[in-house]
Amino acid sequence: MEEIWNALSRALSFGTPLLLASLGAIINERAGVVNLGVEGMMAVGALAAFAVAYGSGAGEGNLYLAVVAAALAGTLLSLLHAFASITLRANQFVSGLALSMIGLGVAGLLGKRFEGFPLFNQAPEWPFTLGAVLLALVLAFGLAYTRLGLVVRSVGENPGAADALGIDVLRVRYLAVAFGGAMAGLAGAFLSLAYRPSWTDGMTVGLGWIAVALVIFVGWSPLRAIGGAVFFGLLYYLQFRLQGQSGIPTEFFAAMPYLLVIVVLALAGLRRVQGAAPEALGRPYQRGER
Amino acid sequence: MRTRWLLALVALLLGLGTTTAQEKKLKACFVYVGPIGDVGWTFAHNEARLAAEKAIPGLETRYVESVPEGQAMPVIDRLVSDGCNVIFTTSFGFMDQTLEAAKKYPDVIFAHASGFKRAPNMATYMADFYQVYYLNGLMAGALTKSGKVGYVGAFPIPELKRHISAFALGVRAVNPRATVNVKWINAWFDPAKAREAAEALIAEGNDILAFTEDTATVVQTAARKKIPSFSHYNSMYKYAPDYVVSGQIVHWEKIYIDFLKKVQNGTYTNKNLQDVDYWWLLREGAVELGAQTGMPINPKFVPALKAAKMTVNGKQVSVYDRVMELLKNMSSPKPTFDPFTGPIRDRYGVLRVPAGKTMTVAELNSMQWMAPGVVGQVADEPKQ
Repeated sequence: MEEIWNALSRALSFGTPLLLASLGAIINERAGVVNLGVEGMMAVGALAAFAVAYGSGAGEGNLYLAVVAAALAGTLLSLLHAFASITLRANQFVSGLALSMIGLGVAGLLGKRFEGFPLFNQAPEWPFTLGAVLLALVLAFGLAYTRLGLVVRSVGENPGAADALGIDVLRVRYLAVAFGGAMAGLAGAFLSLAYRPSWTDGMTVGLGWIAVALVIFVGWSPLRAIGGAVFFGLLYYLQFRLQGQSGIPTEFFAAMPYLLVIVVLALAGLRRVQGAAPEALGRPYQRGER
Repeated sequence: MRTRWLLALVALLLGLGTTTAQEKKLKACFVYVGPIGDVGWTFAHNEARLAAEKAIPGLETRYVESVPEGQAMPVIDRLVSDGCNVIFTTSFGFMDQTLEAAKKYPDVIFAHASGFKRAPNMATYMADFYQVYYLNGLMAGALTKSGKVGYVGAFPIPELKRHISAFALGVRAVNPRATVNVKWINAWFDPAKAREAAEALIAEGNDILAFTEDTATVVQTAARKKIPSFSHYNSMYKYAPDYVVSGQIVHWEKIYIDFLKKVQNGTYTNKNLQDVDYWWLLREGAVELGAQTGMPINPKFVPALKAAKMTVNGKQVSVYDRVMELLKNMSSPKPTFDPFTGPIRDRYGVLRVPAGKTMTVAELNSMQWMAPGVVGQVADEPKQ
């Protein structure tokens, strides 16, 4: 029993930044914009949170302020992507990749002075986890049953029709991308305030990319994202928990998340679960174009 | 007008060129595998670079961080064209490319950390922890209540096998029934993996943790669960003052300063480095026992270590005294104690070090077996 509880709590802990970031990505993808910059926005969020929490050298700052700063930092960075991909209609994939690099680079550069400092007033993990799960429920409900959800979905499915109905497609997309940035920033805050309370260059170690993959894995559903994040967290923990406890080589456990993603994606493809991708995903919108 | 400016610029550049040639400036450049902010390996090399810059007048340094293994060559090309006379490459994976570069640039002096291949203009160097790990093992053996000591390991390579085995020998010298349980993360730098590996070890009942990974994650994770741990590579005392017992601290600057001074005064040239291998330990001050510089053991744990007893040559001594005695011995100009002195059997019972023999540097560098008490899967381990 204790073993199960332990595994579940580890899964939730590891899954929290994945869930936060992928919820943001789900919303901006539902509005038709792919953002591969999650890793970069997460890094910037982690740094902003740590910098504020550390009180710029004093050792103790305001944690609430730190969380807000992280969300703001993520949002600001995401606006770059929004401007490039929505206003300038640049290739979303290229712009997102660039955003990841910019985010990691900027965070690494500005973070130099915070390296090696411990955080004395570290945050508990559970508020982030609880918040992420509640938000997933709210988003799932909102997307399915509210007017706002309908607006977001229509912009992602058929921006031309949405435009004809008087919806400001660009504005909705901007807001959706900004939301994605804020959520990635919060995921970063979780990492640097709670999960591993400190700042280190490269501390996001690819979690942002897993979050991007998770979006596809769960078929753009906020509700399924909870399960997906916990599933990944569980696999991640089990690769260490089972290591040395069975005859299976350790390399197998290390490869397991990737193997499972391939298997699940293949199964999902067969069962056409993949059909949930927004119709206009990845395509810039231009009025009058079809 | 424009040509005049251009001429002035050319004259200026030429002038600069001649002055640098005259002053025989020393420009040492570093190729790092990780970010300098990893609080681990690369951080320590960078601190040492800064210390060397301070200690050696006229020394100019440059570094390139986060260079992937296998991509050192273009970086070295750039550094050479930037005028670097001495290039340090600080990852085992850079070994072959450093050798290649040494052949390509015979006028430049190269030094490679943790490798074994040398050339007339390429030396090797390493600050090794195995003695310090043994001392930490003694303390872990005294402090564990469950008899299970956890270890988060980076890669199952000779360096870690040597360190974990030395650690296990120390643990068993105090507590012959204790085990050292190893989980591999297959990464030098991965705080997320280090965290979950530490959590798994704690869930399995290990009540004290040690590790090899480039962040303070394991120390922080252990402290959250109120479990003692040993810090690795740099001062990590500040991350968990109540829970870090001791640890390993590196002082690469001892090697860098010595090496660069010898380059500066002409002792080392691009012709005589074939046999120059720094294998520096406690004696040379290249490594230190402690969770923080100048603090070999966290005072909070001293009473418990004084109370814990172990048998040495048939006599009962306190673990604290034993640690201090051996630390003094191995730090002296002529140490008489070495953790890898036989007879030592591996964990399958095969005699690896005969009685009275001590392992050589070459043997330590290619060690594949594990000491008794180590539990867990270990790749490339000989079964007999």
